[in-house]
Amino acid sequence: MFVVPLDSLVPDYVKTFEAYIPSKPDPELMKLYGCDRLYRLNNNENPLGPPPGAQEIMRLFPPPRAGLYPSGDSYYMRCRLAELYGMDPDQFLFGNGANEVIAFVIKAFCQEGDNIITADKTFAVYEWVATFSGFAAKLIPLKDFGFDDKGMLDAIDERTKILFVCNPNNPTGTYWSEEKLRGFLDAVAGRQIVVIDEAYCEFVEKNDYPDGMKLIGEYPNLVVFRTFSKMYGLAGLRIGYLTGSMGVVDVIRRTCVVYSVNTVAQDAALAAIDDIDHICRTREVVNTEKRYLKKELDGLGLETQIGEGCFIMIRLPMSDTLAYRKLMREGVMIRSMTGFRFPNWIRVSIGKHGAMEAFVEALKKVLSG
Amino acid sequence: MIFSDQEATMKDHTNEVSLTISSDRQFLPLAMSFTEASAKAFGLEKTDALKLTLACEETFTYICSICKETKSLVMKATNGLYYVGVQFLFRAADFDPGAFNLTAQASPEDEKGLDEMGLIIASRSVERFQISHSPEGVSLVLIKEKSYPQMPEITMPELKPLKDFTITSPDPGTLKLFAGQIVHSYPDHLYPRDFHFPGKLVDMVASGEYGAAVAISKEGLTGGGVAWFRSSGKMVEVFGPYLFDQPPRSSAAERLIDAVVEGLAKTDTLFLIVMYATPELPAGYFEPLGTIDIFKKGSPPAAITVYCRQLKEDPGSTVWFHPEIEEFLKKEYRRLYFARHMKPTESAGEARPEHSVFAARFVKAQNTVILNAIWDGVDFADNLDRHISTLSGEGIPNIFFEIDLAYAWQANLIPLLLGREFIPRLVLPYAGEGDVVLFQQRKGL
Repeated sequence: MFVVPLDSLVPDYVKTFEAYIPSKPDPELMKLYGCDRLYRLNNNENPLGPPPGAQEIMRLFPPPRAGLYPSGDSYYMRCRLAELYGMDPDQFLFGNGANEVIAFVIKAFCQEGDNIITADKTFAVYEWVATFSGFAAKLIPLKDFGFDDKGMLDAIDERTKILFVCNPNNPTGTYWSEEKLRGFLDAVAGRQIVVIDEAYCEFVEKNDYPDGMKLIGEYPNLVVFRTFSKMYGLAGLRIGYLTGSMGVVDVIRRTCVVYSVNTVAQDAALAAIDDIDHICRTREVVNTEKRYLKKELDGLGLETQIGEGCFIMIRLPMSDTLAYRKLMREGVMIRSMTGFRFPNWIRVSIGKHGAMEAFVEALKKVLSG
Repeated sequence: MIFSDQEATMKDHTNEVSLTISSDRQFLPLAMSFTEASAKAFGLEKTDALKLTLACEETFTYICSICKETKSLVMKATNGLYYVGVQFLFRAADFDPGAFNLTAQASPEDEKGLDEMGLIIASRSVERFQISHSPEGVSLVLIKEKSYPQMPEITMPELKPLKDFTITSPDPGTLKLFAGQIVHSYPDHLYPRDFHFPGKLVDMVASGEYGAAVAISKEGLTGGGVAWFRSSGKMVEVFGPYLFDQPPRSSAAERLIDAVVEGLAKTDTLFLIVMYATPELPAGYFEPLGTIDIFKKGSPPAAITVYCRQLKEDPGSTVWFHPEIEEFLKKEYRRLYFARHMKPTESAGEARPEHSVFAARFVKAQNTVILNAIWDGVDFADNLDRHISTLSGEGIPNIFFEIDLAYAWQANLIPLLLGREFIPRLVLPYAGEGDVVLFQQRKGL
């Protein structure tokens, strides 16, 4: 048998990268922690699940179609989005979740010695993909829980290729107003690619929140990410996309893996995209449950960070990873925030009322003992 | 604060040279020249370089003697900044590392004894060694640390409570001053002995094995700091926080620990452990794992609380257990909220190597030694007895033994430990390949 010379085969930037290990499936976790229920409040999923039209697509999916390749570039989905936003279908690229399109952009623009800029406490995948691809990730500390525009601009050097802004930010829920985003784009002045990740945009109801789609015409270096995993409840099907100016998207297409979005995901997304009622109902649940949590957590004297999106952050008077283990034993799974560089904070996804009550009860028990 | 890549990932220093030669005594001069030249080039003083060369000479000679036919072996010298390591990578079915035991003795009367005498000399000429088996063969690493001058008397800078401060990685000058401030302000059981050698601390931090962060005022005064060290596996040991002339409940302690946690959060570190908790350790950041008792001549035993903090969400894991400590483990895992799938194991008369090997870590400030088995052997019980006898004879009252529950063969050793008055004190999550149970010998208690 051969011994694989991993030491010489593996690049240093991969050797030193720590793989992310996702949580085990629910039945395994329930067995390990000895609980007979599990409320998953760790992944910011939609408490209502997929819209009814998308559910119908899944129910009626003809099995023989699973034997055929899907549309390699999500053709009908791109046409529908183009119609919806008054753009060209070729301005859209789809991926197996928005996670995948992050890699498309980084691969398209970065080469050895280049760097990307983002925040230190935000969605980690921008930093991960850059790091395990051998590019430096400059991480700018958040300011008052929000992305620091000036700090990011100051960090730009001649090797900076991409600036990632999560708007609203996961996990803090803060967002840049249209004025602030325009100011930032004006300062970058087209010299670098600016990615605005709008994974949670459909949850934001504020008037000054910018619609990245509308800015692409004015800023050809702007790339917008969106996903069907959050508001549209299709996280299990993995479908997300990016859009930008024709020239920029044409470059990204070269590093885009086609055929990575399955047929059910494409059909379900097509059925979901026009369901305004689903958005309204989801917003209502999220807003109601956020108010409930705020009241309960205030009552416990806990500091919270509640912004936009279907999640909130809570600061605990104990280690967040210990709280994770204790809550797991109570059958409630949250996200501990040390991994986001927020020691002693947890992030809780908004669920249905029963789940929120279960969380509050479990948290009270954990804090009392 | 996010530390530089080198600090955050604690990766090994990459200065290394290697040599591939045959296991033939004719190449002994080459092996010695390689060692001596590398050691000097990597900064060992002449005496230390010669000690390492002697160790390598004996090791190379021993390998030649046990290789029935000439085979290639690799020697790799590594500059760890505060030490030079020489690794031997070779294939030999008859390798018996028993001579690396602290208590090893050899008789000059027989040939095997003479061979082993060489290894004993080798093991005594270096500070540390590592032995492991891998698909590539046996890896034996000899580590010689550099000599550093002890801290000179220094005048402490005048300090005021920090009002406006930043947390930052110290430059070498600040780091040396920080070490001086700790030694000046804290009793010696609250920091590692290495802090007495500021130059060594600087090199350890530069090598990436140690890390440090300090709270610095606008005027450049160091009001406090914290240090950490990758002790084993995926565990990092934290020292401090140390505060100098700061008011009670200063936010500096919390911000220093935040800096450590944030800096290591995205590395492969799973756990932080605090064995030398200062009174400044902020509440709510660490979990008490349990206590151990430290004995010192002429004073009553001190109960030391060991704290830990997990950096990742615990995915649960599988551990081997011997039925004799099943209840202890179940109780501890329940108390600490760790999800573990426990698999029983017991010796069933299977064949084992002839000689076991223990590694010993000394904590001089606490008059303590921590043993662990790095090689199983049928002589485990006798070897353990010899170690206990030698250590007791040296007046060391605190003898600990670590068992890594990732390995069934280690869990199988538990009855032998219990039979020699060792009792399980702590479970250290992920301190080795898996969870480690720390046994303490009752005699000390």
